Amino acid sequence: MSQLSIRKLSTSIVFLLIGIIFITPLLWMLSTSFKFENQVFEQPFTFVHWGHVNFDNYRTILMDTPFLTWFWNSIFVVCFSVILRLILSVFGGYAFGFLKFKYSGAIFFLFLMTLFVPYQLTLLPQFIVYRYIGLLDTRWALIIPNMIDILSIFMMRQFFLSFPRELISAAYMEGCGVFKSFVKIALPLAKTPLVTLGLLSFFMIWDQYYQPLIFLKSKELFTIPIGLQSFQTQFGKAYAQQMALACLAIVPVLAVFLTLQRHFIESVVSSGIKG
Amino acid sequence: MVKSYSLERRERQMGFLFALPSMVGFLVFILLPMLTVLVLSFSKLDLMSGQFSLEGMKYYNKMLNDEDFWRSVRNTVVYLVIYVPLTLTLGLSMAMILNSKMYLRGVVRTFFIIPYITTYVATLVVWNVFLHPTEGPLNSLLMSIGFSHPPQYMVDSHWALPVLAFIGSWKDVGYHCILFLAALQGVSKDFLEASSIDGANRWQRFKHITFPLISPTTFFLLLITIIGGLQAFYQMALLTKGGPAFSTTTLTYYIYRSAFEFYDFSYASAVGVFLFALTLVFILMNWLTQKKWVFYQ
Repeated sequence: MSQLSIRKLSTSIVFLLIGIIFITPLLWMLSTSFKFENQVFEQPFTFVHWGHVNFDNYRTILMDTPFLTWFWNSIFVVCFSVILRLILSVFGGYAFGFLKFKYSGAIFFLFLMTLFVPYQLTLLPQFIVYRYIGLLDTRWALIIPNMIDILSIFMMRQFFLSFPRELISAAYMEGCGVFKSFVKIALPLAKTPLVTLGLLSFFMIWDQYYQPLIFLKSKELFTIPIGLQSFQTQFGKAYAQQMALACLAIVPVLAVFLTLQRHFIESVVSSGIKG
Repeated sequence: MVKSYSLERRERQMGFLFALPSMVGFLVFILLPMLTVLVLSFSKLDLMSGQFSLEGMKYYNKMLNDEDFWRSVRNTVVYLVIYVPLTLTLGLSMAMILNSKMYLRGVVRTFFIIPYITTYVATLVVWNVFLHPTEGPLNSLLMSIGFSHPPQYMVDSHWALPVLAFIGSWKDVGYHCILFLAALQGVSKDFLEASSIDGANRWQRFKHITFPLISPTTFFLLLITIIGGLQAFYQMALLTKGGPAFSTTTLTYYIYRSAFEFYDFSYASAVGVFLFALTLVFILMNWLTQKKWVFYQ
């Protein structure tokens, strides 16, 4: 008995060490963000200098760089993108999965055929079109293409394919129309897949770098990923400040992840198996 | 009877209306751009003057005779050859760790997933300093334990591409870990116990029971990983800019450079069409070989 638990304890310690090694670069980032520039590559390495912890990197990033503007831009783009994507996907999913109409099966098949098109490809003509209609260098250039996502429509369609017909029929009996029965019955029951989809889309869109890289010129429109890159290019040697900035960029997603961890893992599993 | 007929018609009408935004979005943001890329690859468009002319196979001929194009094809394949097996084996090993008897499982699981959810560009900024060839913490450590000439990572044309593939794996493997773990938890304990009573060792149990039972997940992840690997771009754009000496210019980065550095959209489109074709070839190959090793219950 005790031999067994000693073995379990020792393997646990080894596995914990593997976990720590795995995130070493991020732990190093955290440590360095509280150091002075001349301590970044210090020998021997000290994780924290108790006594003189340096908060100036964070102060500089928050006060002297447009970080808060980038942060706001990211929030703006991500929120609008996610909300619009959810609306489009839930309506589309209900139409393709439950209501159905002439050729809906064939049209949806066409949707799926394009699932593997590299996004770098569709962004080329979008760039040309945006140039002509004057959408280049606006936040909407980032938001609009995010509205449509085939995988999201696919997930909602899968959900509504197995949606119980009786529930909607009962609503029809009580005199609800198609739209009203959707809003009153189907939508509330689709809460779980919608939260799943929202969460996954949030992480994905927060990370987007290619789109702002080609669509944006003005610094005041930058989102966090592209802002980080511009800071790195401009202040290549300010390593401690770069680490503080990276920390601040990670904090929001980490906070969302840690509070919703269980739900997030279930989301990934369900989307992965269905997808 | 009459009522249900009209209701069915109403459902179809509303169905069309409900799907309309997605269909318009699909048309405008996916289908038309795809066709435009195809047309662009056969024609020349001057962005300034708006002049347009058909050029036939000119850009494809240029592509096939372009040494840089073939080097980026080679780099893409090398990236895949490292990234795909590394991510799959790492993901499976990490899932097996989490599936074993242990304390602090939740903590270790969180550690394993954190790179996957953190902002990619932020982690790249960290890797850039972490792998600094002379002063970075990793090489300081290597030198202090006796390696006098540690690898130069992103500065060395032999190391750069493998390092980028490794960083890509490190970033993405949390996803694989989650899905493999779910699959492992679905493997029946009865099978494993029965076979261990029959005298099967760990490796035999893995090979004959676990691996076949999780093969649908492995197949799905293999597809996702290949597609993701073909589209890798962030590391090249942020860490190496395709260098040193072209060693990390993959197809995606070559498309980006052609379009947004040289403003040759036609050539970028031709390479893009090639990338899409390559993706389809890989998917098809997987689909055709899956019968041999994927086991559906």
